Amino acid sequence: MKQFRSMAYPYVAWISVLIVIPMLLIIAYAFTVEGTAFFQGQFTLANFARFFSDAVFIQVLLRSLRVAILTTIVCLLLGYPAAYAIARAGKRSTFLILVITLPTWINMLVRTYAWVGILQDDGLLNHLLGLFGIGPLQMMYTDFAVVLGMVYNFLPFMILEIHTSLSKMDPSFLEAASDLGANRTQAFLRVTLPMSVPGIVSGITLVFLPAVSSFFIPKLLGGGQYVLIGNVIESQFLTSGNWSFGSALSLIMAIIIMLSMFLTRRLDRNRGIDV
Amino acid sequence: MNKLIEIKNIVKEFDGQRVLDGISLDIYENEFVTLLGPSGCGKTTLLRIIAGFLDADDGQVIFDGQDISGLPPYKREVNTVFQKYALFPHLNVYDNVAFGLNLKKEPKDIIEQKVSRMLRLVGLAGFEQRRINQMSGGQQQRVAIARALVNEPKVLLLDEPLGALDLKLRKDMQRELKKIQQEVGITFIFVTHDQEEALTMSDKIVVMKEGSIQQIGSPVDIYNEPVNRYVANFIGESNIVDGVMPCDRRVIFDGHPFECVDGGFAPNEEVEVVIRPEDIDIVPPEQGKLRGTVKSVLFKGVHYETIVETRRGTSITVKMNVSTDQPVVNEEAGELIDADSFYLDAEDVEELTDAKIITRANAQAWKKDTEEGVSISKISYSIRPENGRYPVTFRTAAGTSITVDMIVEDANRVQSEEYQEEIYAVNFSKSVDDIKESMTLDNDLMVWADASAWSLAPEDDGARIRITDVIYTFDWETITPGVYDITFATQGMEYKVDTTDRTEPGDVVGLQFTPDDLHIMKKG
Repeated sequence: MKQFRSMAYPYVAWISVLIVIPMLLIIAYAFTVEGTAFFQGQFTLANFARFFSDAVFIQVLLRSLRVAILTTIVCLLLGYPAAYAIARAGKRSTFLILVITLPTWINMLVRTYAWVGILQDDGLLNHLLGLFGIGPLQMMYTDFAVVLGMVYNFLPFMILEIHTSLSKMDPSFLEAASDLGANRTQAFLRVTLPMSVPGIVSGITLVFLPAVSSFFIPKLLGGGQYVLIGNVIESQFLTSGNWSFGSALSLIMAIIIMLSMFLTRRLDRNRGIDV
Repeated sequence: MNKLIEIKNIVKEFDGQRVLDGISLDIYENEFVTLLGPSGCGKTTLLRIIAGFLDADDGQVIFDGQDISGLPPYKREVNTVFQKYALFPHLNVYDNVAFGLNLKKEPKDIIEQKVSRMLRLVGLAGFEQRRINQMSGGQQQRVAIARALVNEPKVLLLDEPLGALDLKLRKDMQRELKKIQQEVGITFIFVTHDQEEALTMSDKIVVMKEGSIQQIGSPVDIYNEPVNRYVANFIGESNIVDGVMPCDRRVIFDGHPFECVDGGFAPNEEVEVVIRPEDIDIVPPEQGKLRGTVKSVLFKGVHYETIVETRRGTSITVKMNVSTDQPVVNEEAGELIDADSFYLDAEDVEELTDAKIITRANAQAWKKDTEEGVSISKISYSIRPENGRYPVTFRTAAGTSITVDMIVEDANRVQSEEYQEEIYAVNFSKSVDDIKESMTLDNDLMVWADASAWSLAPEDDGARIRITDVIYTFDWETITPGVYDITFATQGMEYKVDTTDRTEPGDVVGLQFTPDDLHIMKKG
């Protein structure tokens, strides 16, 4: 084993350059006076004070969390049955997985932009609804459009994670449940569902993380007025040029995400599943 | 005892392959039934059909007088202990065992009582809160049994439940399972490929082979009166020899008549005689019913597994002509060449090729200083399929050459009417050095003598038979020029004897057995 240890050095270097150093930079910026140049200012907590003293930022944060949680729930409700169906599809499941992942071959921005054409006032969906005498409905620039865009983009992650945990489940567990008197519904609720919790947890992680910090989906489908925390961070870096405040916001987000992941993992551990 | 399960003519096919071919079987209350057979015999498939995990293509499962063929597993009054236990990893021991009772919505206090009673029965009291992955294999096994038994099924199905345990634990669990079965007094259907497990625990053994039942009976019946060679071989080790029954209570095998206790065969019917290794005693040669030579002795702990040969197989003796011939030296080219005269018969002459001649004459050439091999580039000879000596010359590219004789003689073959086989070998010549340098002398002797044996039975189509014995009296380390006899033989009539008497290979011994040690089976 010893001779292989040296092979890890490139990765250690890689991780330091691309993850550790940027993280340290973010921390450094967050605690210094505003500006784009490194260490222009001195140590300060003003960036954090600004965030917590301004109700607008708190509202944006809460809206971001609400949208992300909503997205995660919708993804879970849509993704679980889909993953379950794929896991039971036998030989066709490989093909179905391909179908699920196919859209991700195309750039996310382009795919999201396509929804603008579908959802706008004279878009495809309103045309179709018009045939039934409904509408036109205002769909763009609403919570609906933003959540739809996020669900559309992040659903495959949920499906893949849940499918992985379902498909590696030994069928003898279901036979055992059936043997002990469980009908199909009972077997699902008492065995399949609890045993797929690890997949659900990783699915939630993979959907919630990008959803809470996404900035281009709200920008495209929510319009200029629809601001989520990701948009605020983006504008601090790209428009306002206040890297310090942007870094402080990122740090706050990072802590919130870490906390929520910690809680989700706890849920997993309490279930006692060991995968 | 009441009939509990009646299996009627069950047929099951997977992808056109028939795995169960019309199985019919009655299982009674409070019986420990073992389905025994090698992997692929259909025993697990049959168990899964009884449990309801598989539907039979044809036939019925009657349970307590009712046809349950269409019933899903959760409506059947049977419970299963799975091969890999299938304990739920997200539940602790208590919740695993209580799983079935919770589904039946029994009152909490009743569930608690039943679970703790069951855990006590399997020796796991106090383990209620343990996680499944914190338990050893043996403990998981017990949880699986408790989880199934707590539902008070009428039948417990066990699918090779002891397969994953080590030997010591397996023995303990065998005893324990039997004890539990007697205590709870329900029917156990146990699937295994381990004959010893089956003999230890069962009231009734069902021996299966390729989807059909070979024999059903008590362990003692199956052991003592196997119906055919397959069952006899599967249940314990056996000596199985061909014999003839001239009349009831009399059987002839190995050239001698013996008294036996079986009857009911046609006069002079050909039969197979089973003698268990532990039923034979080794006695002084003059006191035995058979006499033989000890061929090998293996120490097995409690006993010695001794192989005694009463009659040699088909054998043939050839002459080995040992000379002091030295290789021919070509100083000019710095090469040596060597070859031996060899014998063949007129029939072989037809099939003679250069390669064959080189092999049989053991012709080789090499560089004097480096010992590097040199290829033989030219072989010149003329031969006719008539007895006589025909010179053959081997030559290398550098001109080094040697001439030896190919000696055509009458074929040297021995046929055995009784064993339906034929053995063949020829005389040969070798130098002292060849013999001393041989690493695997028995094998080399076979090659040099071109020894081979084959079956004469029409159904075998001339299949090769292994030559098991090469017998000679010289000591290869001190051999001197001269003529030596070498005998090749196939396997003869052998008996495996499990005995506590120590013998040495080569000892002449007698074999003793009683009439009821001979178990007569129908041929086939």
